[in-house]
Amino acid sequence: MSILRVEGLTRRFGGLVAVSDVSFEVPEGRVTAVIGPNGAGKTTLFNLISGAMPPSEGRVFFEGQDITGLAPETVARRGLVRTFQLVKLFSDLTVLDNVKIGTHLHARGGLFAALFRPGWARAEEKAVAAKAAELLDFVGLGDLADAPASGLPYGRQRLLEMARALAARPRLVLLDEPAAGLNAEESARLSAIIRKIAAGGTTVLLIEHDMTLVMNTADEVVVLDFGRKVTQGPPDQVRNNPDVIAAYLGGVEIGHG
Amino acid sequence: MGSLSYLPQILVSGIGIGCVYGLIGIGFCVIYNASGIVNFAQGAFVMLGGMVSFVLMQRVGLPLPLAALIAIAGVAALGVVIERLVVRPLWNRNATMFVMILATLAAQIVVERSTLILVGDQPKTLPMFTDRPPLMIGGVAISYQLLWIVGCSLAVVGLLALFFRTTRTGKAMRAVAIDREAAALQGIPVSRMLALAFALSAALGAIGGILITPTQFTAFDIGVPFAISGFIAAIVGGFGRPFGAFLGGLTLGVIQSVAIVSFGAGLKNVAALSVLLIFLFIRPSGILGPAK
Amino acid sequence: MALAALPWVFAVGLVGYAVLAGGYLATVVSFALIYAVFVVGLNVFMGFTAQVSFGQNAFAAIGGYGSAVLTTMFGWEPVPAMLTGICAAVLGALIIGYPTLRLKGHYLAMATLAIGLITYEITVEWQSVTQGYMGISGIPPLGVGKWTVTSDRGQLIVLVAIVAVCLFAAARIRSSRLGRAFFAVAGSEEAARALGIDVARYKLAAFLLSAGFAALAGSLFVHVVGFVSPEVFGLHMVILSFTMLYVGGIGTVAGPLIGALIVSLLPEAFRGFKDYQDLAYGVALILLLIYAPRGLSTLFRRREAKS
Repeated sequence: MSILRVEGLTRRFGGLVAVSDVSFEVPEGRVTAVIGPNGAGKTTLFNLISGAMPPSEGRVFFEGQDITGLAPETVARRGLVRTFQLVKLFSDLTVLDNVKIGTHLHARGGLFAALFRPGWARAEEKAVAAKAAELLDFVGLGDLADAPASGLPYGRQRLLEMARALAARPRLVLLDEPAAGLNAEESARLSAIIRKIAAGGTTVLLIEHDMTLVMNTADEVVVLDFGRKVTQGPPDQVRNNPDVIAAYLGGVEIGHG
Repeated sequence: MGSLSYLPQILVSGIGIGCVYGLIGIGFCVIYNASGIVNFAQGAFVMLGGMVSFVLMQRVGLPLPLAALIAIAGVAALGVVIERLVVRPLWNRNATMFVMILATLAAQIVVERSTLILVGDQPKTLPMFTDRPPLMIGGVAISYQLLWIVGCSLAVVGLLALFFRTTRTGKAMRAVAIDREAAALQGIPVSRMLALAFALSAALGAIGGILITPTQFTAFDIGVPFAISGFIAAIVGGFGRPFGAFLGGLTLGVIQSVAIVSFGAGLKNVAALSVLLIFLFIRPSGILGPAK
Repeated sequence: MALAALPWVFAVGLVGYAVLAGGYLATVVSFALIYAVFVVGLNVFMGFTAQVSFGQNAFAAIGGYGSAVLTTMFGWEPVPAMLTGICAAVLGALIIGYPTLRLKGHYLAMATLAIGLITYEITVEWQSVTQGYMGISGIPPLGVGKWTVTSDRGQLIVLVAIVAVCLFAAARIRSSRLGRAFFAVAGSEEAARALGIDVARYKLAAFLLSAGFAALAGSLFVHVVGFVSPEVFGLHMVILSFTMLYVGGIGTVAGPLIGALIVSLLPEAFRGFKDYQDLAYGVALILLLIYAPRGLSTLFRRREAKS
């Protein structure tokens, strides 16, 4: 069963074609990685899927429903949440507050709840705080809960954004280069975290340049180059594909498992 | 209230004030293009053009043309002072756009209040440039002041166009407007361009103020309504396009004239502001559409 | 930690002293408190949600003139008149907020300035209702039925209670899901939307809240002073309130109160020089913006603890 299906997605910017006739399916409950050289159109693809940008052509189906061109907040409400390549944290807030905001979709409190704090609202706030703390522990940021988000090192910021996205309880989470800025040990931990996310029922679609991470973590790999899909398949198969190797000629080495 | 059969007359008076709005609007564009800042102190320059000329004539006894020239130069210098004292420190501290707007608004207040303290709150005026009865062309009265306004405005606009197109400094300013970083990389002294933009914009405002004062009056607090009208002119013409601002000014002047005749003078500001809101809501890129 | 309490100690001490002393000091502090209500609203929109509005004085005018007209022309009781004024202002904010809040940057700034100015012009021109420049006098003081508040001290105590409620409300909003949504909009609209937050709706909510506080402040003003004219809600109010917001500390809870108190009391030292006052405000505001852009209150702490 595929939770996400993109058909013929195309996006043009004037004369430039960033994404060209891309079609693939993302199997539910698994980890799928999108790889390709710089400028291959990967982040644009995420923008098209998440509603941040409308496609020039093509459709996006999430859980069988056509979500093409819907606003990002609507797409998020349906269970599809993304992180950003250029981290967009709420930098004036604490780490914990960032994740708490992620829980927004799954709480109800509005002005009345804010002013009068009825019992259900107080219980909700406790649950929000607990969930946020739990997610911070999950990604390994538990002891930084009260630190200002802007003070985190780059790699940790990406982990925070991931925790925040998970707080929205997505059924499909789009991770844009979650391993950027992480060293080998942290990368390995991230790999374990991603696999746990998928095991917990949340499908993961990620963009990555770190090939070791991709080979260790992904069940399925989609390769893009110049906006087109080159091939798709399990990591081992993709690694040995001559077209893929050619696309990366002079680029990142496709490491060993 | 008059009737719209006086349309040609309405158009004529609208064009007169419209030219002045246009000059102010061009001033907004020049600063915006050089820096991305909307200078809410623009109105102060307009007010000072007329006021300083008046003071030089009354208290120092200078003839009008000389007083006007000195006033324009003086106001241009004030523009640079404001840029150095208010805008530059904020610019260097990466202040947000809102803080910039607020600071220039505060500068407007400072100039206004200083003027009030120095010359009092009585309105002043300047003599008409040419002391003759208006021309009558086809049943429409055209005062000589109006001819001065239109003539000077067109001359200024023409000189400005020449400046931007042919001189090195002018082209450098245009480069800064298109891409500040690239211009800096090319060795163009961006901060000097910013000071120049303020000087130019202040001079434009002052010229507008001097041209229009003989037909009405000047006082310490006339700046803000003129600034708003100039801003509206810039928006209507498509923000960032100086010559669009001039057209925008003419459009606004005419609409305002029609409104005055139809609804009375009291609502002329409401008319102008409503035009602003309508354009902001419906067509923020102005009547000429987006730049480039 | 003790340092963070300093602003509150200052505020409570000052206000308490004014209550005891009565007389002129009570009157000045009363004005400060009325402005504090206005600035609390401004802080929700511009501090929490990081938007821009140069026109909230429009809603103060609707609240103030609404209250004035209903009590003087139609003989209403003050409290229902105030509530109606607030509802009218919030309704107005809803209607104008919808198209306005789609704008960004200096377009938003200019549009809100235009709204404030248009409202000012209406209060001047709609003479049959507002009496134009002459203003409306004889506005009844605050009170319910026979029990009215006329002494300086009495008014001050009522205002203290109202300001306390407003600050409490602001604090509650700040540490709630609603407040978090506001901060998300301020932090990154894109990220907020990606998390399912309807940014447009929350901007509008902040705008409406701000309009409500503004209208409340406007109504309080007319009933405390007994007189209203267009100048009360003009550009002077805009500059004054922004100075208060920045002096006090934008985005904090105590900021609006501290700023209002400081800005209201300092010029009392120069009471004779009304013309110099606005000049001083202008210069002070410029210096503040350059050297303490997040306000004086934040010089007392590095980061304000939130929820």
